[in-house]
Amino acid sequence: MFNNIRVGFVSATSSIKRGNKKTLSFIIFVLALIFVNLVFLPSMIGGMTGMFNGFMQYPYGDIVIEPSMDNSYINNADDVLKKARAVPDVKAATKRLDVGASIQHKHKVVGSTITGLLPSEEYDVSNYPNIIAEGDFLGELSRDEIIIGAMLVEGYFGSEIYDNLGGIRVGSLVNVTYSNGVVRTYKVKGIMEGTFELVDLNALVHYKEIEDVYGLEESKATSVVIRVKNPDDSAKIKEKIIAAGVKEPVFTNTEKSDAILRQAMQSIDMINFVSNYVSLIVGAALILIIIYINVLNRKKEIGILKAVGISPGSIVISYAFISMFYVSSGILAGLILYFLLMFYFTVSPITFYETMTIIPEIQGGLVIKSIFTMLIMSVIAGVLPAWRVSKESILEAIWGR
Amino acid sequence: MKQESMINIKNLKRYYKSGQVITKALNGVSFEIKQGEFIAIMGASGSGKTTMLRILGLLDKPTKGDYTINNLDIVNLPEEERNYYRLTQLGYVFQDYALINEMSAIENIYILSLMEGKSKVQSIITAQAALDKVGLSDKSERIPDQLSGGEKQRIAVARAIAKHPKILFADEPCANLDTHNSEQILEVFKTLNKKFGQTIVMVTHESWHTKYVSRIIKLKDGKIVSDVKV
Repeated sequence: MFNNIRVGFVSATSSIKRGNKKTLSFIIFVLALIFVNLVFLPSMIGGMTGMFNGFMQYPYGDIVIEPSMDNSYINNADDVLKKARAVPDVKAATKRLDVGASIQHKHKVVGSTITGLLPSEEYDVSNYPNIIAEGDFLGELSRDEIIIGAMLVEGYFGSEIYDNLGGIRVGSLVNVTYSNGVVRTYKVKGIMEGTFELVDLNALVHYKEIEDVYGLEESKATSVVIRVKNPDDSAKIKEKIIAAGVKEPVFTNTEKSDAILRQAMQSIDMINFVSNYVSLIVGAALILIIIYINVLNRKKEIGILKAVGISPGSIVISYAFISMFYVSSGILAGLILYFLLMFYFTVSPITFYETMTIIPEIQGGLVIKSIFTMLIMSVIAGVLPAWRVSKESILEAIWGR
Repeated sequence: MKQESMINIKNLKRYYKSGQVITKALNGVSFEIKQGEFIAIMGASGSGKTTMLRILGLLDKPTKGDYTINNLDIVNLPEEERNYYRLTQLGYVFQDYALINEMSAIENIYILSLMEGKSKVQSIITAQAALDKVGLSDKSERIPDQLSGGEKQRIAVARAIAKHPKILFADEPCANLDTHNSEQILEVFKTLNKKFGQTIVMVTHESWHTKYVSRIIKLKDGKIVSDVKV
């Protein structure tokens, strides 16, 4: 065995060192493309998933606490907030009140969800303050002001699909009729654009406004939204919050995403799954074809090696080495290409629906899995055809008869 | 003292079947070869001389018949043992050199010693000594494409003799060479035979090559038609 490995290594080294460099470069280039094919699309899909999860941050933060089934509100939300904030890994938390209302501007009326929030706390919890496309975010004194979602404003992306309030702009006045019949007039302080229906079809007012309109007391809330230090640990932190004595249902962002975007995410996951396996099969077939053609081109050489007494085992090992070299070089070139593409698409993300951008997500696990898969395939692809040819008779291998 | 026979061939047959047609390349050949002989196997194209040499060199198997080397039954040797026997006991020089183009001259030779289990240093020393014997020690790092036809064939001879084979087989070794290069190769064979007692079996169709050999076996239609000592 040791002699087989030694001879296989010498044979492979000389073949790589003195073989046709153009052919070698072409093989490595093709293998690099195979590798990129294995990892690029899943990275884009990962980016898309990340984008959807990012959207879910607006209503649900990293973790959200909601009223129990038989209640419309979380009673004593301040107490819940106190318990949540006491959990060490919680970065920030706030309470919100979501209510149904209709918004009227001139003769145009749209139905919408209005969220009452505490503006100063939102800076640490959500991204709302950062998505103001026009005007400003609410302040602590913004009792007669409202933030309108972009899809409710004529001219913004998506407004043509849904009913909108026409050409309202910052400073316009709107009348809001709440679900209990109370009507309030607000001045538009800002227009928010989150490129997501759950945000852009809604409106924001001060928490105290909703409290007043509905006559709520003792710090009620329809949700307590929590931001954690490390979103990857959300599931563990959720358990800690429950352990801290919060009785209301607690959900992670992913759990809410799963519930709301289940179908979309399942479709994306299915595409990702199919794409992964198709890429893998195509990759395996291509590697096998490349190496097989390479071995066939060297059939005579294999026959000569056998004729002078080199064992079939050495020949097979030699081709396994050659194949591994091709694939390792292909992986290396593929990694460079992959990171260049990742850099390019991070700097210039793919934009669709005009405002939604997909920034690819580098998936370390997938990259490592793809490297191992390709290396294993390279050994199989190198060994199988070489083994087959090495088993042929010497006369067949050298002279084709 | 009577010289012991090294190779014993009895009623050797090799048939090729192509569809319904059976070609009798060798049709009952028997002879013996003694150690130290330099034999030329001659005959017209299709006479069976190359088939004969391939069977003798363990590159092919006979359809029927017996073949022993030093009383070892070669015909029924398992494949792995045939490989090992070919590696350690036999040398083969091909008509078209059969060198590995991506290996240097010395790599083409020392890879066989590595296969035998010798160290790399020992293998290189052995290969260098073989190159010395064929007068090409200064071209050990050249690859086949950087060598002339004659030089390539001398490298092929060096590869075949580096392991000190019991028998050296040569299949029309001068077929692709001019007279000058052919003479050089045949001189190498002659020296190996006279100086080192190397047993050589060479297939050739050139009558002038016979001045270098000690015995001529002529084949016609797969049968021996003459077997004479020179």
